[in-house]
Amino acid sequence: MLRLNQVVKQFAQPDGDVTVLSGANFHLPAGRSAALLGESGSGKSTLLHLVAGLDTPDSGELVIDGHSSLSMSAGDWNSLRRDRLSLIFQQYHLVPTLTVLDNLQLQARLSQRLDPAFRDHLIDRLGLADLIRRLPHQLSGGQQQRVAIARALLHRPALVLADEPTGNLDEATSERVMGVLVELVRETGSSLLMVTHSAHMAGFLDEQWRLQHGQLHQYHERLSQEPAL
Amino acid sequence: MTGTLTRLLRVLITLLSHHRRHPLQTLFLLTGLVTGVALWSAVQVINAHARASYAEADQVLGAQASHWVRSVSGDGVSVDDYVNLRRLGWRSVFPILEQRLTTADQSVINLIATDLLALPDEEAGTATGLPAGGWMQLVTPPHEAWYPETLAQQLGLEDGDRLTLNSGKALPPARVFSREQQGLRVFMDVGAALTLLDRSHLSYLVVAELPGDAADRLSQDLTALNPDLRLVANQQRLDLTELTQSLHTQLAAMSLLSFAVGLFIVFNAVRFSLSARRHTLTTLRELGVSQRLLLAAIALETLVMSGIGTLGGLGLGYGLSQLLLPSVAATLQNLYGAVLDYTLLVQPVTVLQAWLLTSAGLVLALAWPLWRQAQRSLQDQRDEPSQWQQDERARGRLALGSLVLALLALGLYFQLTSIAMGFTVLALILFAGAGLLPWTVALILRGVQRALPDSAWRMNWACGEGLAQLGTLRTALMALLLALTANFGVDSLVDSFRTSLSDWLQQRLAADLFVQSDTLDIDALLANPGDWLVESHRRNGLTVRWQNRPTQIRGLNTDTSDTRALPLAAETDRSPAWFDGEPGVVLANEQVRYLAGIDLGETVQIPVGQQTVAFEVVGFYHDYGNPAYQFYLPYQRVAELWPNAGEQGLGLWLGDYVDALASAEAALIEAGARPGDWTRREDVLAISLRVFDRTFAMTAAINALTFTVAGIALLASLLAIHQQRLPSYAHWRSMGVRNREWLLIAGLPLGIGLLVTWLLSIPLGTLLAGLLIYDLNVLSFGWTMPLIWRFEPARSLFWLTLLVAGFTFAISAVQARLRLPQALKHLGEDAA
Repeated sequence: MLRLNQVVKQFAQPDGDVTVLSGANFHLPAGRSAALLGESGSGKSTLLHLVAGLDTPDSGELVIDGHSSLSMSAGDWNSLRRDRLSLIFQQYHLVPTLTVLDNLQLQARLSQRLDPAFRDHLIDRLGLADLIRRLPHQLSGGQQQRVAIARALLHRPALVLADEPTGNLDEATSERVMGVLVELVRETGSSLLMVTHSAHMAGFLDEQWRLQHGQLHQYHERLSQEPAL
Repeated sequence: MTGTLTRLLRVLITLLSHHRRHPLQTLFLLTGLVTGVALWSAVQVINAHARASYAEADQVLGAQASHWVRSVSGDGVSVDDYVNLRRLGWRSVFPILEQRLTTADQSVINLIATDLLALPDEEAGTATGLPAGGWMQLVTPPHEAWYPETLAQQLGLEDGDRLTLNSGKALPPARVFSREQQGLRVFMDVGAALTLLDRSHLSYLVVAELPGDAADRLSQDLTALNPDLRLVANQQRLDLTELTQSLHTQLAAMSLLSFAVGLFIVFNAVRFSLSARRHTLTTLRELGVSQRLLLAAIALETLVMSGIGTLGGLGLGYGLSQLLLPSVAATLQNLYGAVLDYTLLVQPVTVLQAWLLTSAGLVLALAWPLWRQAQRSLQDQRDEPSQWQQDERARGRLALGSLVLALLALGLYFQLTSIAMGFTVLALILFAGAGLLPWTVALILRGVQRALPDSAWRMNWACGEGLAQLGTLRTALMALLLALTANFGVDSLVDSFRTSLSDWLQQRLAADLFVQSDTLDIDALLANPGDWLVESHRRNGLTVRWQNRPTQIRGLNTDTSDTRALPLAAETDRSPAWFDGEPGVVLANEQVRYLAGIDLGETVQIPVGQQTVAFEVVGFYHDYGNPAYQFYLPYQRVAELWPNAGEQGLGLWLGDYVDALASAEAALIEAGARPGDWTRREDVLAISLRVFDRTFAMTAAINALTFTVAGIALLASLLAIHQQRLPSYAHWRSMGVRNREWLLIAGLPLGIGLLVTWLLSIPLGTLLAGLLIYDLNVLSFGWTMPLIWRFEPARSLFWLTLLVAGFTFAISAVQARLRLPQALKHLGEDAA
């Protein structure tokens, strides 16, 4: 599903260039989930942005859902993000003026892959049925993140990219949100790459990787269940 | 103390660092201030300049004097009477001859002449605009005509040149001097001027000083000398000052409107800059900076900004005033015959006013957000609710405030008695409309959202985005509404006026030829005309003073077709009596009705010789563009009452055959007229409308500039919106939103906002035009006209708005697109 081959990324800073990825390699098979840990500033979010095509590597290759970054135009990246990827952020990024229902249908509509039955299933599984007419500011942080998760999964993406999705939530809510995210990702058959600071949250996923000195190291593999389709 | 100052400086530096990082925001803040101040100060400079010109003219006229001696009949004061007065010992009396002259190349100049040797010492002192010495050349043949430098430049004259008039006569050799105290007037010796102009009467006499009971004694002497002469106390300044006051009020109102539009930009920029620095302000408070110190630093920053805005605005305003002055001068000359000097000066009071206005605008913009900031605890400041929710509440408050303003306007309208009050009503209506706009736009966006089917989700999203943008967009839309309303209202006014004037001229100028000649023997021309002449209309008249204003008496032939077809603005069942030649009735222009307050059927006392004669007013007629009161009487009646009434022109209807014009011209020349003494009907019409267009060129210029300011406001808002929404745009892009989808979702709200703004400007503009035409115009000028509503100005404004909006949206969209990659890299870091 996702492969990184010798990816290099540097940032120019006033006191010299900073290398965040120095020939990094990584592989995430389809239907698997991986947590990416690392110290602040180690380049975790940068890696996620590279995978989403929001930033470009200085060298190396990314292969996402069979598409090589070496041959993709900006338009291709856009189509890929719309149809095959989805992103979940710490800040939820819901459209404040649209209802919960409109928000969670947004990306599915953009990719023309809205499946009403699956939508109703997600609403039910995420406990959003009573909230769908509300506006985002009328929801708690946990509720907003559940809407963001529904939005990210409704078009059945091949790969879900999550950047600290529980960073704004308390521990109990974080666990509930994380649990339902992992379950639903497995249910949809998507792969999941999640950036997190928390080893506890990382434990919910199949693989744990650490980004250190520009390289990715897998430091633990937990027994995974077969994805339920 | 030093510690506080250091802290204040540190806080100020921290606040100012925002401007270094966000130069575009600062640029728009300053643009708002500069453009607003510029337009306002440009008109201020022109108004101040015009008033100074009148005052200077006043000085040279000797109108500082305590009294004038004027002729009741309007004939002027004969030279013999003046000499006799001097012989009776009235040494403080001196003569004035004024005349408007047209030069050979159709320029209009004002000539003023006096007897310099007769000026009392004090008056000579006030006439310091005249060059010292060299008086002998002025008073002895071949005499001299003294020109101020500006006028000489305009006329292309140098020392020694002789200016030729359209009568073919030439003024004495020119002497050009650099002092400007007499505006654009040509100064001559009174004796030389009387000879040159073939006049035997002076315009009036000026009495410099009348101590004790001297006024009574002079009155008695005047009665004994010539009962037609009357001593008039200088109770008012110059007629010009009064006559032009309403025009200057209108100009000032228009400039204030522009300033208000500029303030919208400032308001937007200040709000945005405060909102962008909200976290900085909170952090400073958390670091122990007191609320008072923070406010002091913001006040200091405001002072700096207002200083820069004022200076920039005044500089630009001065440049603008140079551009606008010819239009204003044309208006004043065409409407009132007032001639302005083209040299402009910025007065210190204008600078002070500009700075105070700018500071007031900034304080107004800052007050509410700062007050709210001060009311909340530090934690609240961090956890501020979303901008969108705040905006919704602000819209509600604005709408409520607008309703209060509208009610106030309604209440004031029924008490309307002055021009200033009229403009207050106008301002209240405009601001009420502007305040209601965001609420209306939100209502429509929500309505559309509700009405949309589920499949139109992109439109639904766009409407939602519109609600999110509205907080930042609303001030620009309000500014645009003001500009559109002013444009549509004033366009409708000018359109109505032009149509009314054109219709009125068509009716009034019914004859084929109009003759104005000093040398024509009219009796000889009409005694035995050929078949070229179908009908003729001879007019006579004079100017008298009535109700302390120059008042024209005009004698008309009541049998001619144009008089018979004279449309009356108001009439009674006694009106036909005037057309039947009944002696005790009179028709008056509308100015008599609305400015002098005379009603139909009322009796007016018109001075005839040393007495007055009573006339019943049986009708009012339109008399556009005339600042004076006017009465129509039958020709013979004028000739009986005022035997010395002069001929006021002759209208000739020609036979309907090819050579009729040539025959008429030959007959005119044979009867003593000179080429150039007659004008064809179509030429008079064309000249009149050209004069009208010149007169209103200024309003068009100010309107265009106001629209430009609104355009800048729109650009500033769109740039701010795109900057604020950039994280959201980045997120949309992360969901795979295509460019055309982005254009639809980000651009459609602007389109809806503009459409609502434009639609609202039509009824508001119509209301504005109605107020201007039916109320303010009548109060200001004393003439009425119907409001002629046309869609054309609204359509033009729609396309113009679309063009400006398209242009500004394109700039801001390109800017957003350029910054999107950077925003994408920071996705997930910025709060939504």
